[in-house]
Amino acid sequence: MMAPGTEVGEGDRDYRLTLPAKSSKKPPPELSEGIRVRGLVIVSFWAVVIFLGLPVWLWTTSIHRARLPLQEMLDWADGKACKPTFPLQIAIEAPLLQDAEAAHLVHMTQHALDDLNEFSAHHLRLRLAKSLSSPSRRNASIPESQDLDIGQVFQSYEDLDDRDDSALTVRLRAQDGIQAARSALQSHSTILDVAYAPNQIPSVSSSSSALATFIANRLQELFAEEQAIIAYILSQSAAGIQSTSHSPYVSPATASGSREIRSRPNRLINPEMAARLASRMTRSLKYAPTYHITMSLFTPSASPSSWQIESALAEYLTPLLDSISAVSNFTVDTQVQLYATFSPSVHAPEHDADHGVWTLQEEDLSGFINAAEWPLSPSIGAGPTLNFVLYVPDQTTSPLVVKGSQASSWLIPQWGGVVILNAQDANTTSVGSTLSKEAIRPALLTFSHQLLSFLGAPQTPPSLPLQLQTLTRIRAASLLLSASSTMGSLARLTVALPSIAIPETVSTAVDTTLSHLRYTCNALKEGKFPEALENARIAEAEAERGFFEKSMVGQVYFPDEHKVAVYLPLLGPVGVPLIMSALKELKRMWASRKAQ
Amino acid sequence: MKLSHLLPLTLLPLVTHAHHTSNWAVLVSTSRFWFNYRHLANVLSLYRTVKRLGIPDSQIILMLPDDMACNPRNAFPGTVYNNADRAIDLYGDNIEVDYRGYEVTVENFIRLLTDRLGEDVPRGKRLGSDAGSNVLVYMTGHGGNEFLKFQDSEEIGSWDLADAFEQMWEKKRYNEMLFMIDTCQANTLYKHFYSPNIIATGSSEIDQSSYSHHADNDVGVAVIDRWTYYNLDFLETQVTSPTSKLTLGNLFDSYDETKIHSRPGVRWDLFPGGEQRGRERLVMDFFGNVQEVEVEGGAAGNETEWREDLRRLEEIVNRARARGNVTEGQAGKKNEGPAETRLVQNRSIGKGRAGGAAKVEAGEAWGQRILGAGALLGCALLWGGAWWLEASK
Repeated sequence: MMAPGTEVGEGDRDYRLTLPAKSSKKPPPELSEGIRVRGLVIVSFWAVVIFLGLPVWLWTTSIHRARLPLQEMLDWADGKACKPTFPLQIAIEAPLLQDAEAAHLVHMTQHALDDLNEFSAHHLRLRLAKSLSSPSRRNASIPESQDLDIGQVFQSYEDLDDRDDSALTVRLRAQDGIQAARSALQSHSTILDVAYAPNQIPSVSSSSSALATFIANRLQELFAEEQAIIAYILSQSAAGIQSTSHSPYVSPATASGSREIRSRPNRLINPEMAARLASRMTRSLKYAPTYHITMSLFTPSASPSSWQIESALAEYLTPLLDSISAVSNFTVDTQVQLYATFSPSVHAPEHDADHGVWTLQEEDLSGFINAAEWPLSPSIGAGPTLNFVLYVPDQTTSPLVVKGSQASSWLIPQWGGVVILNAQDANTTSVGSTLSKEAIRPALLTFSHQLLSFLGAPQTPPSLPLQLQTLTRIRAASLLLSASSTMGSLARLTVALPSIAIPETVSTAVDTTLSHLRYTCNALKEGKFPEALENARIAEAEAERGFFEKSMVGQVYFPDEHKVAVYLPLLGPVGVPLIMSALKELKRMWASRKAQ
Repeated sequence: MKLSHLLPLTLLPLVTHAHHTSNWAVLVSTSRFWFNYRHLANVLSLYRTVKRLGIPDSQIILMLPDDMACNPRNAFPGTVYNNADRAIDLYGDNIEVDYRGYEVTVENFIRLLTDRLGEDVPRGKRLGSDAGSNVLVYMTGHGGNEFLKFQDSEEIGSWDLADAFEQMWEKKRYNEMLFMIDTCQANTLYKHFYSPNIIATGSSEIDQSSYSHHADNDVGVAVIDRWTYYNLDFLETQVTSPTSKLTLGNLFDSYDETKIHSRPGVRWDLFPGGEQRGRERLVMDFFGNVQEVEVEGGAAGNETEWREDLRRLEEIVNRARARGNVTEGQAGKKNEGPAETRLVQNRSIGKGRAGGAAKVEAGEAWGQRILGAGALLGCALLWGGAWWLEASK
């Protein structure tokens, strides 16, 4: 390339020497060789930019977004994918009845129940049970051999143990000398004893029976609270969908996203009931696989300085914890804090001379716990902590009660419970500075009562095993809904924030969640509640893991002008010559083509 | 009570007041270096106030990017004051700083809000709020139009904050939120918020500076900002106990532009019910930790019942233990086992996958290297080819 150039230069000089007067000179015609080389140079530059630069740029700046089954996730969140149903099996043992009579009675009771039931998702299914108990225990010697299914769903259960699957067993017994039927729920088991007058047995041909109606009413009554709770949970989530699905597409002004407005009236629940349920729901803790229970003894003075908490726990609390371990696990730790003073901003207890007691204002109770100084947040492990505080007031301000109600215990929603143990109750059984097991028994019983309400257990029916079963169903339902709504949130965020990366782990977590949600839904439909809960727990854990994936942080939002500001200094100096040369070359090619 | 009779009745509209069940405070200073003493004093003052009003340390996230108390230039080592009278040592001996020094970054702040933190991060460094929590977010530092600087090295934008809050709302991590910011052009920072139930307030309009209140000549620098000073003035003198019934309306009405030297702003439109309902919210709903307490009657009536229940429970448990494997108590206990092990298995699978993912990343890095080498080789070949072409002439 150099050689022709110099030649041109020399020729140029000669030319100028011969024609000095001519002011505008024209460059000599380019050699075709030079034009070709220049073309190649430009093309090669462009090739590098297009085939190397652009892909590298796109590749390095692209955000990895794993594919998520968005529509399915939204369907779950909107409740389209699963309509949870809660078919409860109730076994009826009627050892003294003929098969046909018993079947007829069950049939009629089922009819009466269906008429009573307003909430189709939760229904009771009766069936005649095989008798499992020994004949001697039941004063009956006619074992039922026939297992008669009333509901259509229960074919699959025939091979299973009846007693374990049924939520409740109704035991019918004839009793002479009573006019109307009577029933008694055994509070330590899931058996409802119904005593009836022998003449109340409906004949096979009759179409109505007082006994059947009685049983139906009684059953409906037993499960009414559970139904109301489940209906409330379902309606809450339905209302929640309305208010959360707004964002971020609709302007906030039109979408009244408040969770307050969410509590839409449900046909099933009257306002009074809804308010009660709402307060219970706010009180109860969010589900966690493990809860920590902290038992604390606070005293403003030096005594009591110890308590027989271990043996008391073993006796009063551990059985309860063991029986609810199907729902959640618990760890318990205890502490004693001496010289624990009130927060300075709280009103000191006032002396009530009329009753001879010291009183606390009810509105001061929320400030009773001196959060700044009492060490109540041990931050142990991952689960939430439930605090139970036993406060032993000083001799000088004892007995200490709440003004008005004279109560000495209260409950702080989602936080824990407080019991004031007044000296005269304690001293009777305390030795020295140690609180005996007996002295703290009432407090521990209150705590265990509070614990159940923190977990969201219903107050009726008055049988603990039944309450625990109900708790299983409630937890399964609320976990199903919360995992579903997490899926919806994740799906909406994925769409709304295109700048955050979505790693594969999220996608697998979503898949696991969805499959376990399906299991849960099916298990609920089939009435296998423990299995449903188990799957719902996994679904919830996976959903949380997916949503809170560590690498999914939309860390910095770049407005477009920022991008321009970043790229312009870089691309300007490079881009201008590239584009200009390309344009020039194109122009030349176009001109030369025209000339031809 | 017969519930079944009550069930069909109801079609009344039902708007219950949503009570919050916990309070959280996120207090952030974003600037380091000695001359920004006042920003740390701002945050520590707020910390002291919310703690005084009852929010426990476990529910306060305090982010301090520098340690003024131990700064060698501090004439009063170990202390931080927010007033020239030096009446209150803000640093004290009972203070829990959750994020300190270089931990205060935009990334950590956003991770904190959205809870995208590793499993190894302790609970004290997490915002554990839920659908029933009222959250107070207070930020102070140096900012500009729609951004706030973090540590002189990065910045958080209004959009980043808005997106983080939206993620919080989506995951039901707050019930109501009060966002406060004291910086220059502060009101621009909440401009892009779009999630509901947020009340936002800032110290100054766009193109306005936010000024410091006064300097302490012995400390040598300004000790507090004006807007924060007058907020504190209100909180310290008027909100004296957790039972205070003063509202946010009272607080915002107390702002005096002639004293603050800038125009504070309040944004109500995200709050349901707008300004009217927002103004009725108690100051204590955000700065304190007042919950609805449920007082229980004497437990005497329950006690016998409960003793019975517990005795029976004990029986049930004992029976279940005795029977070992076949019955109802076990239906609970046994199912527990598989669920847990499956969870554990899943976790370990998850971990395995995380390891796998890292390896894949390593593979990607190799791929990138190969690609780079290939590109270089290609360039070399091209050059060689061109040279050969030319030489062959």
